[in-house]
Amino acid sequence: MGHYQWNWAIVFEQVAGTKEYYYQWLITGLGWTVATALCAWVLALVLGSLVGTLRTVPNKWLASLATCYVELFRNIPLIVQLFLWFYVLPEVLPKSAGFWMKQDMPMPEFITAAIGLGLFTSARVAEQVRTGIMALSSGQKNAGLALGFTLPQAYRYVILPMAFRIVIPPMTSEFMNVFKNSAVALAIGVTELTFQMRQITGEYAPGNPIEVMTIVSVIYLILAFSVNRLMALIERRTQVPGYISGGGK
Amino acid sequence: MRKILILSAALATAYMGSVQAEELTGTLQKVNESGIITIGHRESSIPFSYLDDKQKPVGYAMDLCNQVVAAVKKKLNKPSLVVKLVPVTSQTRTALMVNGTVDLECGSTTNSKERQKQVAFSDSYFVTSVRMLVRADSGIKSLDDLNGKPVVTTTGTTSDRYIKQNEQGHSIDVKNVYAKDHAESFLMVETGRAAAFVMDDVLLASLIANNKNPKDFAIVGPALSVEPYGIMMRKDDPQLKRLADETLSTLYKSGEVNKIYDKWFMKPIPPKNITINLPMSEKLKEAIKNPNDVGI
Amino acid sequence: MVLHRYTLFDTTESTMSIIRFNAVNKWFKDLHVLKDVNLSVAEGEVVVICGPSGSGKSTLIRTVNQLETIGSGEIWVNGQNVIDPKTDINTVRADVGFVFQHFNLYPHLTVLDNITLAPIQVRKQPRVEAEALAETLLAKVGLANKRDVFPSQLSGGQQQRVAIARGLAMQPKVMLFDEPTSALDPEMIGEVLKVMKDLAHTGITMMCVTHEMGFAREVADRVVFLDQGEVVEMATPAEFFSAPKSERAKQFLQQVLSPMH
Ligand SMILES: Nc1ncnc2c1ncn2[C@@H]1O[C@H](COP(=O)(O)OP(=O)(O)OP(=O)(O)O)[C@@H](O)[C@H]1O
Ligand SMILES: [Mg+2]
Repeated sequence: MGHYQWNWAIVFEQVAGTKEYYYQWLITGLGWTVATALCAWVLALVLGSLVGTLRTVPNKWLASLATCYVELFRNIPLIVQLFLWFYVLPEVLPKSAGFWMKQDMPMPEFITAAIGLGLFTSARVAEQVRTGIMALSSGQKNAGLALGFTLPQAYRYVILPMAFRIVIPPMTSEFMNVFKNSAVALAIGVTELTFQMRQITGEYAPGNPIEVMTIVSVIYLILAFSVNRLMALIERRTQVPGYISGGGK
Repeated sequence: MRKILILSAALATAYMGSVQAEELTGTLQKVNESGIITIGHRESSIPFSYLDDKQKPVGYAMDLCNQVVAAVKKKLNKPSLVVKLVPVTSQTRTALMVNGTVDLECGSTTNSKERQKQVAFSDSYFVTSVRMLVRADSGIKSLDDLNGKPVVTTTGTTSDRYIKQNEQGHSIDVKNVYAKDHAESFLMVETGRAAAFVMDDVLLASLIANNKNPKDFAIVGPALSVEPYGIMMRKDDPQLKRLADETLSTLYKSGEVNKIYDKWFMKPIPPKNITINLPMSEKLKEAIKNPNDVGI
Repeated sequence: MVLHRYTLFDTTESTMSIIRFNAVNKWFKDLHVLKDVNLSVAEGEVVVICGPSGSGKSTLIRTVNQLETIGSGEIWVNGQNVIDPKTDINTVRADVGFVFQHFNLYPHLTVLDNITLAPIQVRKQPRVEAEALAETLLAKVGLANKRDVFPSQLSGGQQQRVAIARGLAMQPKVMLFDEPTSALDPEMIGEVLKVMKDLAHTGITMMCVTHEMGFAREVADRVVFLDQGEVVEMATPAEFFSAPKSERAKQFLQQVLSPMH
């Protein structure tokens, strides 16, 4: 049996027929991965908090609207959602709008991916936020209302600050997921990390796929670990002295 | 088919003495001992190697490979050799070859110098040219017409390199965009997200053939690159390599290869009975005349 | 803050009543928890509500600031009909303090922030002013040195005293208490009751659900006995404890005043 010819230096080789190096491709990929994931995460946090909160309000109409939102974005596979936004939406919009999306929209793949991934993740964030709110005793809210807070004030000052603290551990995994899921963006042509890996291990440098895959896996691991540490730091910083939260580690 | 079998059987019998005398090495030795030969095939590399409506791998490359397998059976004198079929992808094929999972890869793999560091190739059985697919009404005729326009490349292929290289010579500015497979790259052109899809002509031809309005599209421009396809094998396996090359040469000399080519490129093929309609290129005719395994 | 103390007891027709229930009914699905309740509380009055478990005491007191809605009837607080959808319930609530059985302090805020949050956000009081008042109140409930700790670092009795200070920080006209001592260890009940007694003597209007009959005897102007959602008796503590009229009240008193309690 032939032996696999290991060549870890593959990433420092020049791309045949170009002035570029493979490691530059990986760095570009990492940049897009981080940009896509972070933009999506910010969007997911904002929308997810809003929708998760709305799911718990007394107004039945708003609550079921929020429930529909969650079910919609959570249950359709991410890749399908990206396809819908990227390929289907421009075709069903009025001709001029569809044309704009296809021809003139700046960075169409990136923006579509960031929004698509953000909406998908927001549904998951919403579920976490809702769970956090439900975990609080209704007494907290009542104590706020009894002092004359409006419902939004009660949420802003009393309910959400505690709910967010409670959900930091599950939010950490959602935050880590958003980096992992950003790889799906390659399906609509975002030149992120996994894209670059497939590009390199495809026709370009098919000789040493294992090294490139390993390096990319390690980069993802480092990203996940950084997110984990960041969230642990936030958890420590926001910890309420003496308060024993249920979700300890 | 039957004729060839009888002929080969006769040949095999005639050479029996010398075959037995030669000590088996490499893959042939392994196949002889295990009684199994494993073919790596593609699932949708039409018309080279793909699954038909019965999920059976068929295609131009599969037909050629089957001839090689027949030759192996003769050589080992094992008519009942078990042929195992394993699907491979463009990402997995090299690794599966190197680690011994597959013995012959029959797909649409470019014989490149880069790949030759890990694996070996038979003589070329096909030569593809990289050209561009555009909408017929786009007016795009050459690379210069692509200035300022998005050009789509399928992830994992090198088409974008030809664009980048040609950009310099033509002082044009092209926006490279990517899709995850050929069907999506084609969709990008169809929906107007990309002005051109740069890819092997055979793939472009089959994508057009499968569209409901084949007349809306055209394959234009010069060949940006020419790539030979070969049957992939493990490196340093001269016995199998010789057997494969001899089998192909026999088909080339007899003209049998033309019939096989027509069957897959000029006639309706399963599963949808569509005709790719790609006449044999001059480059392929040349490769058939002078069989060689020179990579790019 | 010092209000005139009224000693008028029969206030059903009084225009000075600060809380008035008119034929209030409340159902939880099929369960009729408040049955035609009529009740007035005069300004400055201290009313203790007692009754067996499940009789509707909590429900009753929570309807005053609409933490619980009602099925029919009217509730007037500070001259405003709280049932009327046009009434801004938040302004009504701002003038009515509420102390819960389980304190319900905000766990993520310090004691001081717990007290100043509503004055600053609802009353729009300047922070300095709110903090000065908070410190005064903390001193009154005997917790001046605890302003910067978190609720989870306090005992139950201390938490409940902070909760009282938090209610008072809004300078309410009425304070409502729902069993403020029943979640406390016995040794802490006294400290909370003392704060409540002090408060009663300031002349603020208080409505208080409690089983602490000693407290009722000492500071209540009136005792309301509730059973199965009905106001069964309404009397001065002296009358109620010495000569309960109904059989149900007698039974109840026998239970809460037995040596076990
Ligand atoms: N949210 C609710 N849904 C349904 N039933 C309820 C609800 N809250 C209270 N009840 C029922 O209404 C009745 C009155 O309850 P409430 O809490 O007012 O009694 P209580 O007098 O305060 O009792 P306790 O002394 O045990 O606190 C009880 O039978 C109770 O089970
Ligand atoms: Mg109660």
